[in-house]
This record gives sequence, C-alpha cells and structure tokens, in this order.
Amino acid sequence: MQKSTDYKQILLVGNPNVGKSTVFNLLCNKTQKTGNYAGVTVASYSGIYEYKGESVEVVDLPGSYSVYPTSEDEAIFSKFLIDEQQKYAGVVYILEALSIKRGLLLFQQIQDLGIPILLVVNQIDQATRRGITIDIEALSKELGVTVLQSNAKKNEGIEELREEIFQNKFSASEQISFEVPLEQKGLVFKILAETKESNQYKIWTLLSSETYFGNLESVKDQMNNDEVKCLVPKRLQTQETIRRYQNIDKIISKVLFKKPQFKELLTEKLDKVLVHKYWGYLIFGAILLLIFQSVFFLAEYPMNWISDFFLWLSAFANTNLPEGPINSLLANGIIPGLGGIMVFAPQIGILLYFLYLLEDSGYMARVIFLMDRFLRPFGLNGKSIVPLVSGTACAIPAIMSTRNIENVKERLITILVTPFMTCSARLPVYSIIIGLIIPNKYFIGISYKAIALMAMYFLGFFTSLMASLILKKIIKSKGKSFLVMDLPSYKMPLFGYDFKLTLGKVWEFITGAGKIIFLVSIIIWFFSYLGPKQKPDEFVATNVKLDHSYLAKMGKSIEPAIAPLGYDWKMGVGILTSFVAREVFVGTMSTLYSLDDEAPEGKIIDKMRNDKKPNGEPIYSFATGVSILFFYAFAMQCVSTLAVVYRETKSWKWTMAQLLGMSGLAYFASLIVYQFLK
Amino acid sequence: MGKIIGYENDDLKMPNKIIEMGLLPETCFKILYQAPFKGPLYIEFGDEKSRIALREEEAKFIIVEKM
Repeated sequence: MQKSTDYKQILLVGNPNVGKSTVFNLLCNKTQKTGNYAGVTVASYSGIYEYKGESVEVVDLPGSYSVYPTSEDEAIFSKFLIDEQQKYAGVVYILEALSIKRGLLLFQQIQDLGIPILLVVNQIDQATRRGITIDIEALSKELGVTVLQSNAKKNEGIEELREEIFQNKFSASEQISFEVPLEQKGLVFKILAETKESNQYKIWTLLSSETYFGNLESVKDQMNNDEVKCLVPKRLQTQETIRRYQNIDKIISKVLFKKPQFKELLTEKLDKVLVHKYWGYLIFGAILLLIFQSVFFLAEYPMNWISDFFLWLSAFANTNLPEGPINSLLANGIIPGLGGIMVFAPQIGILLYFLYLLEDSGYMARVIFLMDRFLRPFGLNGKSIVPLVSGTACAIPAIMSTRNIENVKERLITILVTPFMTCSARLPVYSIIIGLIIPNKYFIGISYKAIALMAMYFLGFFTSLMASLILKKIIKSKGKSFLVMDLPSYKMPLFGYDFKLTLGKVWEFITGAGKIIFLVSIIIWFFSYLGPKQKPDEFVATNVKLDHSYLAKMGKSIEPAIAPLGYDWKMGVGILTSFVAREVFVGTMSTLYSLDDEAPEGKIIDKMRNDKKPNGEPIYSFATGVSILFFYAFAMQCVSTLAVVYRETKSWKWTMAQLLGMSGLAYFASLIVYQFLK
Repeated sequence: MGKIIGYENDDLKMPNKIIEMGLLPETCFKILYQAPFKGPLYIEFGDEKSRIALREEEAKFIIVEKM
C-alpha cells in the first residue's frame, strides 16, 4: 500500500456482490476483475485517479458482511479498516438497492467505529424494475450521511461520486446506533477509563471478536483480566447482530416502499433448471465440455497464424542478418523460444473468458451449491470448486481465490491440491506430446487427440481428489466446516468488459512468461552455442556442435537419473528449465531443436518427430511420451505458484511438502508408466 | 414455508454468518431446493426474497415453525 501523503486515500467497502469492484474500475479507469461471486476481490487492490487536480488513491477491500472476520478474506478487510484508520480520508460504502437490509449491518458497524463514511446506493434501477422505491433523502436523514445513487455497470453516478469525494463529504456519526448492553456496560466503561480510547463501540468489538484485531495495544493489556475472560465473544456478536437488525428494520420501514408481491422472475426460472438434481449437473458438465471444446477447436486458427508468423520471423532474421552469433541467437534462440509460448495465448484467453463470464453471471455460486456434497467426503468445501475450476487456467489466481473458504483445514487442502489441476501452462506441453504420440484418427467424430487431452484433465482432477483424501487424514482439523452462502441474482454478463479483462490477463501471461522465456532461451542458446575446448591449444570456449556443447554436458550428466523414465538429455534439459515454469519446456525444446538443425525453418513438432535414436527408433516413442505427460501432470514446476502457496499458507513446511510430494510423485509415476509401457 | 423462531441452545457451534446474512427470528422462509444426497439447502427468505445456500448441519441450529 502506498503511504504517500500526496494522495487522498479512500476505501471502498461493502458486502460481496454489490458492484464494488465495478465502481472501483470506473473510478480508477483500471481493469480489475469484478465478479458476481463472493471472493473475486481476493486482495486489496488500489488504484489512483485525478479529479480537479487532486490525486485520489482508492483501495478496494474484499467484500464482507460484518467487521467480525470468519474467513481470511474478511480478516484482511477488518485489519485494514481498523488498523489503517489514521491514513485514509474516509470510507465509500456501496449498498446494493436489492439487499439494503444486509448491507446496513456492516454500514452501521463502521459508522459506530467513528469512521467517516459516504454512502452509495448502487443498482437502483434493478430495484425500480421490481417495484421497489427507495427514499434517498429519508435514508440520508435516518443514517446521518450523504447518500448518492449510482448504476456502476452503466457508468451513472460516478462523476457525482468523484465530486463528493473531492468535497470530502464523509461524515463521522456523533451518536452510536448500537448501545452496549447493560451487562457489559460497566466493563466497557472501565476499559475506556483506563485507556485513551474514547469510542465505546471499539472496545465492544474487541471484547466480542474471537481473534484480536485492531492496534489498540494499550487496550490489549486490559483484556487479560478475569472479567473479560469469562465473556463469550460469539454470544456478544449474536446479541449485537440481532439488535442491529431490529434497528435496521425500523429504518427500512421508513425509507423503502414496495409493491406487496415481487418476484425474481429470471433467477427463479433459471434456478428451476440450473440447480435441478439432474439437469443442474448435466448443464454444468455440458458447460465444462463446451469450454474445453472451444479451447481446442476455436483456438486452432489463431494458433496456426501465430506459429507461422514466428517461423517467418525466424527465417527472416536468419537470411537478413550477417552470419554469426547474433544471427544464431535471434533466429535459433530468442525467436523460436518466444514463438513456442505465444502460440498458447489464444487457448488461455478462451479459457479465461469463459470463466469470467460464468463468475460475472452469478452461476458460480450455483456450482458451489451443486458440488458441496460431493467434495465434502474429500475434505474439501463446495467453495473449493471455484479454485479447482480456475486452476485449469492458472493455479496462482486459483490459490488466491481460496481465501473465502472459512475453514482453515479445507482451505489448506484446497491450496495444496489445486496445482494438480491441468493449468494452461501444461497445455503447451500436452499439446506437443499428444501431437507426437497419438495418431490422427477419429472415434465417432471425436479425435483421439481430444480424447487423450480430456484424459489428462481427468487425471489432474482425479489426482487432486486423491491427494485431498490423503491430506484429510494427515491435517489436524481446526474449527467446524460450514457452508452459508449468498446466492446472487443472475445478471447478464458484461461481454465487452470481460473481454477487456481477458485481454489484460493474456497480456500479463505473454509479458510475464515472455520475460522468463526470453532469459531462458538466451541462457540455453549460450550454453549450447559454446562448448568446452576441443583442442588443448585453444583457451576459450568455442562454437561447437550441439552434441558437444556445455548444455549437452549438463543434460547428459543427469541422464542416469532420467533414463529410466525414458528421457534423453534434451528432455532432461527441458525438464530442468521448466522447474521455473512448465511452459518453458516447449520454448526450450524449440530452441534446442532450432540449434540442432542447419536451417531453422520447419515446425518444432516435426523435428521432434523425426528425431531418432542411433538404432533408428523414434526418440518420442509412445512410452516416453506418456511418461512425459505423467511427469508434467504431477510435478510442481512453477516458481510463481510456490511463492503464492507460501504467501497464502505462511508455512515453509507445507510449501516444501507440496514441492517434494508432487515432484516425487511425478518421478515415480513416470518411472512406473515408462517401465510398464516400454 | 416456515418461520424462524429462534436458535438451538448450543449456539456457540452455530456459524455467526447465519445471523449476519439475515436469518433472524420472525423471518419467513421457504426451502426451494436441496442438492442430491442430502446436499445443501436452497432457501429463500425475508421480505427481500434473499437466497442463501446452507448445509443441513447448519440449518439444524435454527428452530422453525410451520406456516
């Protein structure tokens, strides 16, 4: 978080699914994912905008229902809201017109903490359409704050919001809407008197929260006396919530008017089918199938264009640059390396776009509802389905999306098994190996290759479930598992908006992976271009044939370890380099095979297919191919994922257990598969 | 159709989220669906017709009366 004093800092706060992230995006003109599913805002994002010469930093906090955290997501929320109180100018609270009641609970808690606040009622048109009228003026009077209306998805009310923020229309309430109950009043006042704190509600929140939050160190000392110890925080919270809702009901009766009968027609009709005990599952299956079909068939055309473009570029560099190391570095090193990975951008884009649309529409919450019962026996929660499905795109955002799983054990298991899901970085490897070893035949209209790829996805999913089952036995349980989840109304996804987000993510992938692959291809090229001196009178390393290069030496030195898996030294180099990231394998192979050839033209896959052992058998035999597939299915080859796992679990033990467990499994599975098929 | 009248005595095991989400005493509700094999319940409740999913285990904490 930036702590610059040049910015006015404001916080965006509200329940999950109220359009907070959309407001954030419009305010800051920055693309950041919003979702119609609790937990999309997985970290506090911040963005900056300028208005009338003033720079404002907006921090988008994860959605929450109250200041008492039940999940990691909400813990981030409470900590930031209370700890950073001195740093921000105020809170912009987003209330959804259709769920005002639930939203006011958190609103009043924040108000009672003495935090300056400004209220925005979002999606008022949705309410109007259902025959609900909200008296904004009365609401403003009842709550004692400035109230704005907005329709974030249509960009209405955003300019007004900027103006109000500019004018500092945040108001801190004088009176407290929740009176501390008589039984605890004495204690609260005792603590108030002994500390410098003046806000009685703040003391109350300390007494009634199970995990200590806030930075009132002086108060903390007071918290150890016996009177405090015999309090039951949970009961205090229940008491508070019920009292607050009574108060909120009174407010609502004054500001909200509706026709006696109103119905969520669309949501009602859709849910008759989408959560149906048969149709619901069939449709979910069909949606998954549709996504994976599109990933492979729709993506084929742009993939061919990209691949042809890089081939052309490499040939162009080769013919137009003077002979020498630079020519070789570009034409055989960097360009094929980059091309090998760019080619997968369309597949990743299509997958992400579908996932965004599903989240945006509100469907994901239904998937959780449908899957909860089936995931529980494995020690997972229904909410684990979202990381698992997202894991088919990338494990990094998937692992971050586990934060809204309340139970610590279920969350840890989900984090540990998500990397088994077939992420998009494995696709390049799978595509190329399947292309090499599976014949181009069709079984009732479905290609063998597509079936093989489906099998790999199933293998990943099956392995995550099995791993969960084992982890369920190992990890000690903390707290009770539960599922209490809002089912939002369906909304038409914003196709254009989600498309923009997808492009952003694909660009991130290209630049992120591109950087690594750029470096790796230079290093590989360097070590393969040069080799140990051949004649004793030469002092420096010289340009040598690939087979005699430093790289070949390294690869050959690990050959005893990988030969039983059916790999040659080139694959060894590929596996070594792909411990940085899986997709590097393809870039490495591209570079290696480009270097091996006199002319760099021709597709990598053909070169790999034509690569023969000395006895004339193809190097990429069926057994070797399957062995590689198993290795990549199980091995933990992604530095970024490991970093995220460590950040989320804060445990070296589990991070290392994941790395060693997955990679060990990969080695032995490949060994068995190869020896069996050989 | 039913009405919430209170919570079980061992309310300490009850997730607070139930109350925070608005399943309060005097609230009317309707169980619309249940996922197969005694999966989660799909409940519509209150004047706002909010929808919520919760498991049977959590639902057992809530004392209700038929309407």
